[in-house]
Amino acid sequence: MRGRNLADFEIKDLRATVENREILKGISLGISRGQVHAVMGPNGSGKSTLSNTLMGHPGYQVTGGEVHFKGRNLLELEPDERARLGVYLAFQYPTVVPGVTMANFLRTALNAKRGYDGKDKSKAITPREFRELLKEPMRTLRMDDSFLSRYINDGFSGGEKKRAEILQMAVLKPEIAILDETDSGLDIDSIRFVAEAINEMRGPDLGVLIITHYSRILEFIKPDFVHVLVHGQIVQSGGPEVAAQLEKSGYSEWGEPVPAVAGEEVT
Amino acid sequence: MGLELHAVEELAALHGEPEWLRARRREAFEIYERLPLPSRSDEEWRRTDIRGLDLDSFQTFEQADGSAPADPIAETAGVLRQRGSEPGQVELNPEVAARGVIFMPLSQAASEYPELVRSRLFSEVRPERDKLAALHAALFSGGTFLYVPEGVSIEKPLVSQFWSSGGGAAVLPHTLLVAGRGSSFNYIDEFLSPDLDRPALTSGSAEVFAGEASNVGYVSLQRWGRHAWQFANQRVRVERDATARLVSVGLGGRFAKNRIEASLVGPGASAELKALFFGSAQQFFDFHTLQQHVVGHTSSDLLFKGALRDEARSLYAGLIRIEPNATHSDAYQANRNLLLSKTAKANSIPMLEILNNEVRCTHGATVAPVDPEHVFYLESRGIPAGTAERMIVHGFFGEVLDRIPVAQARELVESELESRIG
Repeated sequence: MRGRNLADFEIKDLRATVENREILKGISLGISRGQVHAVMGPNGSGKSTLSNTLMGHPGYQVTGGEVHFKGRNLLELEPDERARLGVYLAFQYPTVVPGVTMANFLRTALNAKRGYDGKDKSKAITPREFRELLKEPMRTLRMDDSFLSRYINDGFSGGEKKRAEILQMAVLKPEIAILDETDSGLDIDSIRFVAEAINEMRGPDLGVLIITHYSRILEFIKPDFVHVLVHGQIVQSGGPEVAAQLEKSGYSEWGEPVPAVAGEEVT
Repeated sequence: MGLELHAVEELAALHGEPEWLRARRREAFEIYERLPLPSRSDEEWRRTDIRGLDLDSFQTFEQADGSAPADPIAETAGVLRQRGSEPGQVELNPEVAARGVIFMPLSQAASEYPELVRSRLFSEVRPERDKLAALHAALFSGGTFLYVPEGVSIEKPLVSQFWSSGGGAAVLPHTLLVAGRGSSFNYIDEFLSPDLDRPALTSGSAEVFAGEASNVGYVSLQRWGRHAWQFANQRVRVERDATARLVSVGLGGRFAKNRIEASLVGPGASAELKALFFGSAQQFFDFHTLQQHVVGHTSSDLLFKGALRDEARSLYAGLIRIEPNATHSDAYQANRNLLLSKTAKANSIPMLEILNNEVRCTHGATVAPVDPEHVFYLESRGIPAGTAERMIVHGFFGEVLDRIPVAQARELVESELESRIG
């Protein structure tokens, strides 16, 4: 990837630690709108650290590097500012937030994006707009209205949680979406619905970074680029053929015995 | 005029009370004089500091003040407004009155309906309990009596509003509710005074008699001013197949000690005890609860939720007591506390006293700050941290707010919380 033009979302030499242990050891990766990148790696390679660091989780310390997006260094922004700038993370383990309904959550997030701070009512989303915005993606994701009156992820099955993550993405319309192990814990039907929804969002305005252990989700969402993450570094980059190769040989080339196909990830 | 016996007489005369009630007041005053103030050597008061309380500094009588607020609830079946220590003014929907409902100042009911009042008044909230309960019984400054006859069901709530101008007096309202067999209604007590700098002495005690198969909702909204001392005892007696739902909202006071108790005395009786409290600055809340299963096949469900910011503190101590014969009782108790600052403190002491093994009891307590993972999740969707925290605190109270049976009361509490969460 040397000598390429700067991408819309440019990660440069990103280093991060968790509890003083260095997990990301200098990651560089450029994602432009219209592209789908996959980062594949075995357990403990730093996949979740990468996604959480990009979103600004307080438990991860950045020790070096920059992330450029829309003329800003993302790493200097609060998580909510990153989100409003157009970055989205679909979590591997979505958090349960008791007492806050999905409807209230989505409406508040949309209003925050529109710059509504509780004062200028003309900026607030109307109930009608809100319903319209949700209709299509909820149909694609096979979610009924009862979802909206439930508390955030509370009592959701694994599949419902992941579908709710993609629903939020569809509503918030990010420019860069990071999908962290979105296929883990999903049955094959749910993977299809989720992939269908994501494929509908694909287009020249959206850049996608799929973070995954297994190549299974890449059968449904075809990546343009595949990167291999091992021990906190990108060790190989290429086209879709990299995923196919990993499916055969796993990560053994880098001293990792775990195959990149089949079964559920155990973490 | 301090806290002396002739003050008791004057208060009784002002309300035109019958001789039997004056005698009760005098007896209670004797108990008050005999008992020492609770001290930290008493187990119940070990964590509760009343050293700053100067009982002699309070006036026993407060004149009505013109600055009283508007009614909190617009749609009611009846309203009683009491200002200071003066007898309350009542408006009761004539249709409701025609069905035999009695709703009037407690002292008036003591004269007109002694057969309903005399045996019940201060039988559940007893003056012997401690010096402050005795003081309340001797100097109660009025209050409400409500009787709903057998089979009568009232759709709109009945509301009492007790207003004190907070000028350093003892304002001690007492509520007595009697629900006839199979009756059904919701009743709200609202206690409020402005945030003046002079300490005041307040209560807001209630005795609720939920007769057979009745369905009673009792809500107390405590919004006494910031310098008030509050000592209140609320107790409900639940008869066979009756359901009592108590919701206690604690927002005001510098110091608020509340005992909230349910006694389940007939099979099929069920009590729901819910509370929410929000403390800021140096507020202190003390809740002692009792779920007493006297007989079997009874159930109780308690949930107390509090959030504290600044240097506010709270103490929750709750006892589930299952008496020896109370087989097949089902009791649940939970106390959840949310700390919004590093200097806020909550103490939680759940207790079980189970004298019968064929029962189901569950209890639990938590004290924790707002979970940073919750805040981060909302932030990751573009919601600023401050808004996220407000949503989480509001959500935390949601399951108690949902139990407030009257929509307008719920909205009132929501907007109070909104302004306090900041």
